[in-house]
Amino acid sequence: MSEILNESIVELQLGHDVAGEFNSPAASRTWYHYVLLAASVVFAAVSIGFVGSILWESLPTWLHHSGTLLGGNGWQTPGGPFGGLAMIVGTLETSLIALVIAVTIGMGTSVAIVFLIPKRFRNIVATLVELLAAVPSIVYGLWGFLVLAPWMYKTVDPWLNSWPFARQIFGPPSQQFGPSLFLAAMVLGIMILPTFVAISREVISVVPQDLIEASLSLGATRWQVIREVVLPTSRIGLFGATFLALARATGETVAVALIAGGVANVQFHLLNPGTSIAAWIATEFGEAQGHEISALMALGVLLMLLSFGLSLVSRWLVNRQRKVLALV
Amino acid sequence: MTETIHVIAPSELDQGLREEIRRVAQATRARRMLVSRVMIALCTVAILITAVPLVMLLFQLIQRGLPQLNWAFFTTLPSTPSLLAPNVTGGVSNGIIGTLVLTAYASIMAIPVGVLVGVYLAESDSKFAAALRVISQTMAGAPSILMGLFAFSFILQALHVGFSAIAGSFALAVLMLPVIIISTEIAVVNVPNTLREAGLALGAKPHKVSLRIVLPSAVTGIVTGSILAISRAIGETAPVLLVIGGGYLNSWQPLNPVSALPLMIYSNAKSEWPSQRAQVWGIALVLVAFVFILSLTARIWASRKQQVRS
Repeated sequence: MSEILNESIVELQLGHDVAGEFNSPAASRTWYHYVLLAASVVFAAVSIGFVGSILWESLPTWLHHSGTLLGGNGWQTPGGPFGGLAMIVGTLETSLIALVIAVTIGMGTSVAIVFLIPKRFRNIVATLVELLAAVPSIVYGLWGFLVLAPWMYKTVDPWLNSWPFARQIFGPPSQQFGPSLFLAAMVLGIMILPTFVAISREVISVVPQDLIEASLSLGATRWQVIREVVLPTSRIGLFGATFLALARATGETVAVALIAGGVANVQFHLLNPGTSIAAWIATEFGEAQGHEISALMALGVLLMLLSFGLSLVSRWLVNRQRKVLALV
Repeated sequence: MTETIHVIAPSELDQGLREEIRRVAQATRARRMLVSRVMIALCTVAILITAVPLVMLLFQLIQRGLPQLNWAFFTTLPSTPSLLAPNVTGGVSNGIIGTLVLTAYASIMAIPVGVLVGVYLAESDSKFAAALRVISQTMAGAPSILMGLFAFSFILQALHVGFSAIAGSFALAVLMLPVIIISTEIAVVNVPNTLREAGLALGAKPHKVSLRIVLPSAVTGIVTGSILAISRAIGETAPVLLVIGGGYLNSWQPLNPVSALPLMIYSNAKSEWPSQRAQVWGIALVLVAFVFILSLTARIWASRKQQVRS
């Protein structure tokens, strides 16, 4: 630090016209500014290339087979038709179920970590949750594939099937060895749970203590404090956590590719095998040729639209909430 | 304009209203306490539901992975089991080297650019910077398989480079860029303005202030962000799956096909040989160890620097 100060003082003594330089627009036109600008242009070019090249590769499909891709059922290699409906439906089914699992359980978990766990263990638990959020998704997929799938097949599927109306919701017990959309959704839910909890715990733990104490002093019960004070105060962060978790679930590739079963027909019965957009790209790309590559790129465009749309909605929601909070 | 805030003290409420509030509070007390107890209990159940699968996952990872680890696991190439030798799986040295190579090239590409862009976003208020900020936030949430599609269409189709380490590391670099940009911007913005003003007041030029005062103060955040980006890239399967070619040899060359640990997990998990399916747990354990060490390093480093400063 003193080095920098010394040098600046030396410069001052040498009699530079400092004030004039600082205010003139030329002041920012140094080599440093151009280096920063150049890097930014590189990043902008990469992002444009990212969107542009995937769009370009998918163009033949959009021009000639867009109806099939958006509404067709079934994927016939190598010549087509390439219908994407099963993947779109599968993506929505798995990620929404996963989100419901993660948000309901995750919200309770975050509250429990912040308010119920003794202070000594709180940091350890928080660190553990963050480490689990960093575990690569392939490891969750592996666990789902080699541990959870056999268990589902042997224990859970028959049990679910014994419920009334279970056949209408889940379909007949799977004929395959374990893989199903429901299993994929469960593993996705377990996978995004640490991500959600890591953020929502942090958000909840920064709620000002005076608000909580004020509410308690007015005679509110612990749950009333959580419901009326803690959760509303932290809702911006909770929105953010929810959208991040949803984005992770919709874009998840290899975990779903391992455990969803990889069947390209629309499935509403959740115990049947299915697939998702990202998983289908991963499983099919290796042997794809010509038209199929283009169709897979078009699926990629759909995934991109979904993710960009989610990001837009979350930004809009967060901004709106900020404004609402600012008014209060 | 002055505003007067009138706080009503309990003593100022008229007697009837006070009685009414007390009566309602007491009448509902039993119900409120019951609801509270039930909900708190549900929260406890939630934390148990969260803990069971995650603890089981970690436990099984260690229990099944640890026996797989030995010297040959790290140093020899994989070999396919056969009917005569169903338990000969070889090691995973190509995957370890491939993962290191991919991550190294990706870091070399992504970290310098990412840090510079992050500094630009923090120091500039132009429309271009605002647009880049939105773009980097959007890219940060983009599914990783798209980076693989991008690398395929750009490096393989447009530039005619074959399945190679460089294509995979390009995909990983695109994945890392937004993470590095965002964390750098936050780190730079969080440098107290008094430091900047002190530098400017002493007559340093803006770029000198940025280079010699702001960046050194923000370096903790920048390094932490970069390590976290690396730890995310190391575990990614989808982007490299499409473009690295799954090489069976140890190779440090950027233009050769390589393998990677996540990729080996993905392909060997579906193997028909029980010995290969068992070995996968060892690979997963090594991968998770890499990621944990990186994120713990970042965390410890960040917290120690914070203590030094305060």
